[in-house]
Amino acid sequence: MADLLSVENLSAGYGRAVVLSDVAFALGEGEALAVLGRNGVGKTTLLDTLVGVTRRFAGSIALGGREVGTLAPEMRAGLGVGWVPQERNIFRSLSVEENLTAVARPGPWTIERVFGLFPRLKERARQSGGSLSGGEQQMLAIGRALATNPRLLLLDEPTEGLAPIIVQELLAALTRLLREEKLAAIIVEQHAQKILPITQRALILERGRIVHQSESAALLADPAPLERFLGVTGR
Amino acid sequence: MNHRMGAWRRRHVLGGFVGLAALGAPAIVRAAPSGAPVRVGGTLSLTGFLAQTAIIHKIAAEIMVEDINSRNGFIGRPVEYIMLDDQSKPDVARSLYEKLITVDKVDLIMGPYATAPILAAMGVAQRYGKVMIQSSMGIPHLQTYDMAFPATPFGPEPDKTYPNVILDAMASLPTPPKSMVIVTSKFPSAQFMAKGMRLEAEKRGVKVPLYLEYEAGNRDFGAIAARVKEANADFLWVGSLGLESNQLLEALRKLDYTPKTSFHLYPAPGPLALSPDGNLVWCSTFLEPDEPFMSRPGMKKIAELYKERATKANLPYAIIDAQAAGMVAAWQILEAGVNGAKSLEDKQIAAWLKKNVVTTVYGPTKFDGLYNHGEPAQLIRQVQDKKWKVVWPKQFVAPGVKLIAT
Amino acid sequence: MPSGTLLGQALISGVLAGGMYGLLALGLSLSWGLLRLVNLSHFALAFLAAYLTYELGTTYHVAPWWAAAMVVPVMLMIGLAQHWLFDRFKVNELASLLITFSFAVILEVAIQLYWTADYRRFETHYSTMSIKVGAFYIPVLELALCMVAGVLAWGTWLWLRKTYVGKALRAAAEDADIAAAYGVDHKKLAYLLSGMGAAYAAIAGTFIALIATLAPAQIWAWLGVVFAVVIIGRLGNPLGALLAGMLIGASESIAMAIFAPAWAPVVSFSVLIAILLWDPEWL
Ligand SMILES: Nc1ncnc2c1ncn2[C@@H]1O[C@H](COP(=O)(O)OP(=O)(O)O)[C@@H](O)[C@H]1O
Ligand SMILES: [Mg+2]
Repeated sequence: MADLLSVENLSAGYGRAVVLSDVAFALGEGEALAVLGRNGVGKTTLLDTLVGVTRRFAGSIALGGREVGTLAPEMRAGLGVGWVPQERNIFRSLSVEENLTAVARPGPWTIERVFGLFPRLKERARQSGGSLSGGEQQMLAIGRALATNPRLLLLDEPTEGLAPIIVQELLAALTRLLREEKLAAIIVEQHAQKILPITQRALILERGRIVHQSESAALLADPAPLERFLGVTGR
Repeated sequence: MNHRMGAWRRRHVLGGFVGLAALGAPAIVRAAPSGAPVRVGGTLSLTGFLAQTAIIHKIAAEIMVEDINSRNGFIGRPVEYIMLDDQSKPDVARSLYEKLITVDKVDLIMGPYATAPILAAMGVAQRYGKVMIQSSMGIPHLQTYDMAFPATPFGPEPDKTYPNVILDAMASLPTPPKSMVIVTSKFPSAQFMAKGMRLEAEKRGVKVPLYLEYEAGNRDFGAIAARVKEANADFLWVGSLGLESNQLLEALRKLDYTPKTSFHLYPAPGPLALSPDGNLVWCSTFLEPDEPFMSRPGMKKIAELYKERATKANLPYAIIDAQAAGMVAAWQILEAGVNGAKSLEDKQIAAWLKKNVVTTVYGPTKFDGLYNHGEPAQLIRQVQDKKWKVVWPKQFVAPGVKLIAT
Repeated sequence: MPSGTLLGQALISGVLAGGMYGLLALGLSLSWGLLRLVNLSHFALAFLAAYLTYELGTTYHVAPWWAAAMVVPVMLMIGLAQHWLFDRFKVNELASLLITFSFAVILEVAIQLYWTADYRRFETHYSTMSIKVGAFYIPVLELALCMVAGVLAWGTWLWLRKTYVGKALRAAAEDADIAAAYGVDHKKLAYLLSGMGAAYAAIAGTFIALIATLAPAQIWAWLGVVFAVVIIGRLGNPLGALLAGMLIGASESIAMAIFAPAWAPVVSFSVLIAILLWDPEWL
């Protein structure tokens, strides 16, 4: 099985509430997937389920051929799931550098390389995480996930609520990660136009179900599904 | 058994663990005489901050119940002592006495020890008109209930009488001390004596350059020691409880200072006698296992039994002293009162006690004075060769013993 | 006004006495700050260790440092066992307070059953030894205690700051779920920390055996002041705990020297309230 990630028949939610139903998709090594959809359709729930912090009702999640759906989050992290949560959730009481070193695992992504990707973090290395601006926190959240040297990076709305200039900077960094480093990733975004150009594949969620799956390039060429499910033309 | 549970309920709820109950089911001691037992209820502070001395009282009480039952019991009936744990808390003591009287319907009660539980129990006793004999209330004027009787001969005004005993002893020294530092716990019975000591000392021309009060449970005596050292008086009077004397003396030695002569009010007798800092210190007492006390009725046997049981209970200092003797005397008084009045009626027992003299381990004891007290008989003992010896007043000193000056 | 000698001496003895507060606060602060467990039984464990040191010293004539070497592993095991309970029953902050309180009461009772409620004193020839420096006396045992407390506090501080485990612990203390999602095995680390806390209690206990006189009810004697110290020193901050301990010890002692000794107990809480009102950045 060549797929890095293979999700089948997945339903998940919170408590008794089922949010995701019957989700299935696959992702190859070095591939990037855009997850699109309106607010509240279950995008975050999907990523969180891959991380292991929601309740999984059915289905399987295989990472590199190994079933991880039953494992605790720390085990999945050990197997290569790197997560950039929507809320960023950086460790505010730890310094920027400690945020990285506290979770670092050996691999190509050393702290120095993370600082190379986000020079602003290097400048703030000794500052506490809580003192960073929103954009810097997002960089730190991405850097922290990289420091775990993941096989698969999960990014939940990385540009949400940030100033345009910061969004530019982040997108440049993401482009570098996906294009040059060939990091496998799933990126949740509401603004399709920002990420379709840098991903290979895309899927659209609607009320917890996948309603469209295609090459990203195809969606760019024919934005009809975007209009239909997101109510936007690719601005 | 179930009345035991009340005392423990709080801990049961919090702990939720079994096993605690096994700790001390009510100690019921029973023997010879015949008929339905006379049930005497009381509490002791078996746990909590007063627990150090509870075991002493418990052993003494058990010995006395057996002793009384080996004679005639209470008017021919066996005596049964129902002893509960008041956890060193006055409110617990209050409710337990209430329960003993109203639920368990005991015939008589025996007082707890230490001022606070005694006062709590006395309120209940007064409400139900029960005679209460207590062994250890150091502030006689607080005993306002006319059917409460003191087993220990403090006299009605120990804050006036006892300081003068000490001052007399001081005056008998080859170079009588001219100045005195007073350091006292704010524990009421200690503070009461310390205030009296200051007044009486100044009246007799002994200067008091430093008078310090510390909170009960004071942890660090370093600063107090530094002040005592700086004042450097001829005599150090310590209104201590428990280990405070050891702590203060140790803190003084760390400053390379040994007070010339020191007096200690209510220290833990064992640790002070055994401590290297305790040599030749003075302390209050009412009797020691020595002449002339050992010749008092029953004392030899009681002292032997006490030693045996205290050793068995793993107590480091297994010698009977004034504390245990207080409990012994309390039972001797109750026995004399019941058998003298030939009645279990509290009023009749009280009336008999007020008219008669009871001979206890403390000697002939009367209850006809202020606050039902008789003559004071508080003495001074001194640590000599790691043992306590009564050294003052002279008529209570064993042959061959004398007050050693430092 | 008291003399300079008196004040200096009071300051020395206060700072040194504060070392004990700090040492006791250390373990408490770690488990409270980093595991959100308020371990009241810390005091009982320290006293159990003290009684064991006493027993080894008086009955078997074992030197206190050897006694410590034996007692520390025992306490460590107890700490781990206790943590197993916390883990098993998913104990939260409030519940930990109640459970460890009961555990402390049980230990108190157990200690009383075996050693009786009577006072126990482990007399050693160095218990009253002191070094004279100028006009001042520095008690040797308390000095040793402060040095040990200093080494432990400093070492623990470095460990939390410099090692992977230390940083992971701090991250997990802030947000255990997120830390777990980054691969931090919070459970294992929590065991480690609980064991450490108990070992620190054992070390404190050895010194308690040498410095203080033992009685079961004494378990509770340090509670209030050490709690104040833990809070002033900031939860989870070992150096803060030690410094706060010394600050409180010194304040108590100076209050006793200048004003009345009876003021001492109010001091720790006055300092606590003052600092809480002041609300400095480091708190
Ligand atoms: N912790 C939670 N508990 C219960 N329901 C939740 C929780 N988080 C999200 N939901 C619900 O799940 C649905 C999907 O939410 P989410 O995955 O956050 O959507 P998106 O990320 O696409 O905006 C929403 O209806 C939301 O109300
Ligand atoms: Mg979302």
